[in-house]
Amino acid sequence: MQRRLTGSASDPRIRARYRRETRFKAYTVTALFVAFAIIVAFFADIISQGYTAFWRTEIQVTLDYNERAERIGRFAINEDLREIVSRGAVRGIPLEIRNNPELAGTTHERWVPVYSRIDQYFKGKEALPPELEQQVLQLKEAGVIRSTFNWAFFTAGDSKLPELAGIFSAAVGSIFVLFVTLMFAFPIGVLSAIYLEEFAPDNKLTQAIEVNINNLAAVPSIIFGLLGLAVFINTFGVPRSSALVGGLTLGLMTLPIIIISTRAALRAVPDPIRLGAFAMGCSRWQVVRDHVLPLSLPGILTGTIIGLAQAMGETAPLIIVGMIAYIPEAPSSIFESATVLPAQVFTWASEPRKAFMEKTAAGIIVLLAILLTLNATAVLLRRKFERRW
Amino acid sequence: MDKKGFSQHISRQYNEDLEQIITRVMTMGGLVEQQLESAVDALVSGDQEKGEQVVTSDYRINAMEVELDEACTNVLARRQPAASDLRLIVAVIKTITDLERIGDEAERVGRMSLHLLEEDRERSPMGEIAALGEQVKGMVRGALDAFARMDAEQAVRVAQEDIKADAQYDAIIRHLVKYLEDNPKSVPPVLDIVWATRSLERIGDRSRNICEYVIYFVRGKDVRHVSFEQMAQEATGDRH
Amino acid sequence: METELKNTPTTAAETQSMADNTGEQTMGGKAVPEVKMQAEDLNLWYGDTQALHSINLEMYAREVTALIGPSGCGKSTFLRCLNRMNDLIPQVRLEGRVSLDGEDIYDHSVDVVQLRTFVGMVFQKPNPFPKSIYENIAYAPRLHGTGTSRSELDDLVESSLKRAGLWNEVADRLDTPGTELSGGQQQRLCIARAIAVNPEVILMDEPASALDPLATATVEELIHELKDNYTIVIVTHNLQQAARVAGYTAFFHMGKVVEYNDTDTLFTNPREQRTEDYITGRFG
Repeated sequence: MQRRLTGSASDPRIRARYRRETRFKAYTVTALFVAFAIIVAFFADIISQGYTAFWRTEIQVTLDYNERAERIGRFAINEDLREIVSRGAVRGIPLEIRNNPELAGTTHERWVPVYSRIDQYFKGKEALPPELEQQVLQLKEAGVIRSTFNWAFFTAGDSKLPELAGIFSAAVGSIFVLFVTLMFAFPIGVLSAIYLEEFAPDNKLTQAIEVNINNLAAVPSIIFGLLGLAVFINTFGVPRSSALVGGLTLGLMTLPIIIISTRAALRAVPDPIRLGAFAMGCSRWQVVRDHVLPLSLPGILTGTIIGLAQAMGETAPLIIVGMIAYIPEAPSSIFESATVLPAQVFTWASEPRKAFMEKTAAGIIVLLAILLTLNATAVLLRRKFERRW
Repeated sequence: MDKKGFSQHISRQYNEDLEQIITRVMTMGGLVEQQLESAVDALVSGDQEKGEQVVTSDYRINAMEVELDEACTNVLARRQPAASDLRLIVAVIKTITDLERIGDEAERVGRMSLHLLEEDRERSPMGEIAALGEQVKGMVRGALDAFARMDAEQAVRVAQEDIKADAQYDAIIRHLVKYLEDNPKSVPPVLDIVWATRSLERIGDRSRNICEYVIYFVRGKDVRHVSFEQMAQEATGDRH
Repeated sequence: METELKNTPTTAAETQSMADNTGEQTMGGKAVPEVKMQAEDLNLWYGDTQALHSINLEMYAREVTALIGPSGCGKSTFLRCLNRMNDLIPQVRLEGRVSLDGEDIYDHSVDVVQLRTFVGMVFQKPNPFPKSIYENIAYAPRLHGTGTSRSELDDLVESSLKRAGLWNEVADRLDTPGTELSGGQQQRLCIARAIAVNPEVILMDEPASALDPLATATVEELIHELKDNYTIVIVTHNLQQAARVAGYTAFFHMGKVVEYNDTDTLFTNPREQRTEDYITGRFG
């Protein structure tokens, strides 16, 4: 029997074809590998630099609330430990005594953070003068120096002292800003999209609006910052550096994203559903309310979350509207000066002191974790409500 | 109406199916004509050989009818014909039934011719019977012609010929009855002749049926059980 | 062969003569059928393109009228004129008159929402709302205020499902989403949904073209049963389906009604060569 199906294996043209195919596949795999390697390298670098910031070195000291300490907190500490204990840790003692006069003259055993250079020394990032090194090693031997989870990183605001600096005020700022962004961009974006998709006639005007909205999404974010500065601060007098002005500015930036993703979600609702509803005698409003919106809501929310995630990571326009200020205390309203996580990261990154390096990296880790969570929520939402029609 | 319309379907296979059915109906018709020719010949001239040939050949017509029936059933099942195609298939199914019956009648005439002796033949009105034979042969040929050309007007003319055939039949029967009254002893051979004559007359009726199917196909009108005037009107008039 | 278009049987006399010709089985010895909907000299343009040319068509009460014709012949467009679904398409211009029981449905005083409760519609692809079976049916009556109390709605849901021949299959799972039913069941659910509004006319746009033969048969059987209470106009690509379900059939071609006749006549002995060519599958 003549074998016709295997003879081609020796045909040079067919073999060349297979070779080309293999080569092409190799290119694609390589590209993927490179992309993946970059991501892994990035994460590895950030995490290796930043994870130490979640730990801090503390020292057990005896605080003596004596008369001198009523004026300057440092005097509450034994003299030879004054170089080791963080200055910021005892700064509050005079205030504490003033508020509670009965504390005067008492002593307390307490774990307090150490000076950042010593903290860095224990994390193996900085060297100490031999004398000091000797001393802290002895203290470590004696068990009065320990390493503990750095809760303060999450509960404290910014500080000029790296060992005390935290992301709390920036996180609160971010929440306020995103809240304002959401409140501003979501209703306007969704309603505009509904109008454009469900009600608007298809004419030159609506087409021009469409094109412009699509273009807006591609405008560099710093331009929105300038716009926010000009419109909100200079024209409407919104307080500079406040979460309100930041939120509104980011809202401008998020608006086109929400409009575009909402329109996509509305368009994904199959026409037969609309026609079916119309044929039952629904008015346009009833069709949108009862059929189109419920079906497109997951898509709308997904788009909104992605828009917010993008806004959350945005720095440039916020710098323009002054949200780069040093904010040690979390703002209590959207009208107060605030900063946001990426701006905080930016501030730390520009600090010359080495101890801020790990803070920067840790800030980035937190930011990434939040963004990943947001995006994962978006994906889950889409998965959960994805319908087959 | 385009009489060759069944060659214009988008499906070529459909065209071929229908054309083949028409061709086979014509072949069957030719065979029936031949059988009838031989049978009348055998009856009139007493040619025993021809008579036997007619009797032994009828199975071919029966076989063709079965084949054509099947072909028509297949077209119905596969194509769900509509309008003129549907009428064509219906007309074919009915036509082949009548052709098969004509074949049966011819066989019977052939068989009767074998029973008859020369003297029986001499005593019968063979001239009239031969004339009736010619008449119905002409009708069968005319009906098949009308079918081949899908010519409703010719179909009407052929159908009207049946009046003449009926009259000839009546005359022959009257003659034979009179003869029987005079010669009561020769009942058996005369009955054979009556049967043969009756068969010829039936062939005329069945030719007329075929003409009616042709009119049905062409005009979409059922002209069975109506007067000739009405039939002529339907066949020649406007389509509605 | 006629070259000029014969117009549709618009007068009672013509209709009657048609009935006489076709005999008992088609007209069942009924009197002149009552006209439920009527299009008179209906022209329709999409922008500059004329899609319908001077359509005259009568749809008889409690009869199934099928609209057949090649793609793009205007049959679906015409169907959508009957409940003004074309209103939803921009740039549609319409001239002529369409009436329901003699009332012009394009009169400016007519409320489209109201009209569509009289003239329901079922679409090509089953499109149940992604809600429960119960909600699919109860939705419109609740919306229009025809069913308010829970028990009223329960009764309405049950009777609609029964009329659509779906009750036995879904009675024990009214809470499951309508989209989880099989294709044929979904389409019958859509019909039940249309019935729930208690319309007088039901328009069907290729209601079985997305269904398998068995589901098609159930839908066709349903159409046959609904005919006793509703006037049905159905667009179909499937000639055999038109032949099976319709009492009257109109053949559309290039935006015109080429022939309108009772189904038996149209499918056995059409008057127009173009109809003949189309239904027998010849070159047009």
